Amino acid sequence: MAAPAAARALRAVPRMVPVPEATRALHTTPTCLKTRAARVRVGKGDKPVTYEKAHAPHYIAHRKGWLSQHTGNLAGELGAAERAVEDAFLRRFLYGTFPGILADEVVLKRRANLLVVCAVLARSLAPAKLYFLVGYTETLLSHFYKCPVRLELQTVPSKVVYKYL
Amino acid sequence: MAAALSGGVCGGRGDWRAPFSFSSFPAASSLLRGEGSVFPVNYASRIMQKQCFPPCSDLMGARLAGSHVDAQEPRTNPLVSVSDEPETLYKRLSLLVKGHDKAVLDSYEYFAVLAAKELGISVEKVHKPPQKIERLTLLKSVHIYKKHRVQYEMRTHYMCLELKYLTSSTAAVYLEYVQRNLPEGVAMEVKKTKIEKIPEHIQQPVWDTLPQVEGTEVKS
Repeated sequence: MAAPAAARALRAVPRMVPVPEATRALHTTPTCLKTRAARVRVGKGDKPVTYEKAHAPHYIAHRKGWLSQHTGNLAGELGAAERAVEDAFLRRFLYGTFPGILADEVVLKRRANLLVVCAVLARSLAPAKLYFLVGYTETLLSHFYKCPVRLELQTVPSKVVYKYL
Repeated sequence: MAAALSGGVCGGRGDWRAPFSFSSFPAASSLLRGEGSVFPVNYASRIMQKQCFPPCSDLMGARLAGSHVDAQEPRTNPLVSVSDEPETLYKRLSLLVKGHDKAVLDSYEYFAVLAAKELGISVEKVHKPPQKIERLTLLKSVHIYKKHRVQYEMRTHYMCLELKYLTSSTAAVYLEYVQRNLPEGVAMEVKKTKIEKIPEHIQQPVWDTLPQVEGTEVKS
């Protein structure tokens, strides 16, 4: 009794006939290259981000200003590469000299021979120590670059958060 | 001590003097404030004296008028020099200012035109030549992916200010003032058109000076 029932059951099941052309493979697309330059990726909403970091580079001259102002990149002017190298060194130097106190990116301005470094600091160091660090930075950098260096500071109670990403 | 640093700008420049003197570049505002000036004479010394003597007490009435203070000891400003040489005259002084930010150039134009008007220099015209954009197309990825590129551009905006009929000393004063207040990231090119006397050998037409030549007959 079970055999004819089993045979009927087998006939009921759709037969899988292998088709020669069909293949079982995983379909892939080439890597989708999204632009990642100077952008903070959206996360869970717990990452505090400053105004500077929150905006992508295509907002420069629309919602953002320039962090380094010099004439090297103007049409017909020289010295862009030298200024870029100096800027990179200055940013690393200041990041190390004021450890953990820098509230935002440093703004560098060059007026003729004078180099003005504008930094925003948090108020976590004693003022006496800050004065020493300011003098140390100014003297060392002016000896290094052979030009007057002026450090203009602004202190802020804590990092200014624009939004959370 | 904590109050000194509350939110204000603190450069600490007054506390730190460099061991050697730079050819430093104080902005006009700091010169007027009289702090950290490189020059031995304060430009605003006259103004400072007038402010020191408020016209309130009658006892100091004789000395209150600011000009009287200087009458006893005539002080000549060592920065002002008087010479008898004839000045070079400029027909046109052309300032071409370039920058990345149009707003900065607009505000600088207002400042330069105002300065020229205050000094009595006639402005011929102020115009804005079209901007120049330099574009670069680079590969987006470090390795392969030739079809995906990234484009950057650098825009240079121009502003041309033309002044007419200046003397060399006026031009020197105006240029010095305007260049000391040039904002960062802005470059300036100056072109001066000099007026010169016609050289003596051209002043009279040549055919008037040559001796009369008698007509010679040429027989071929």
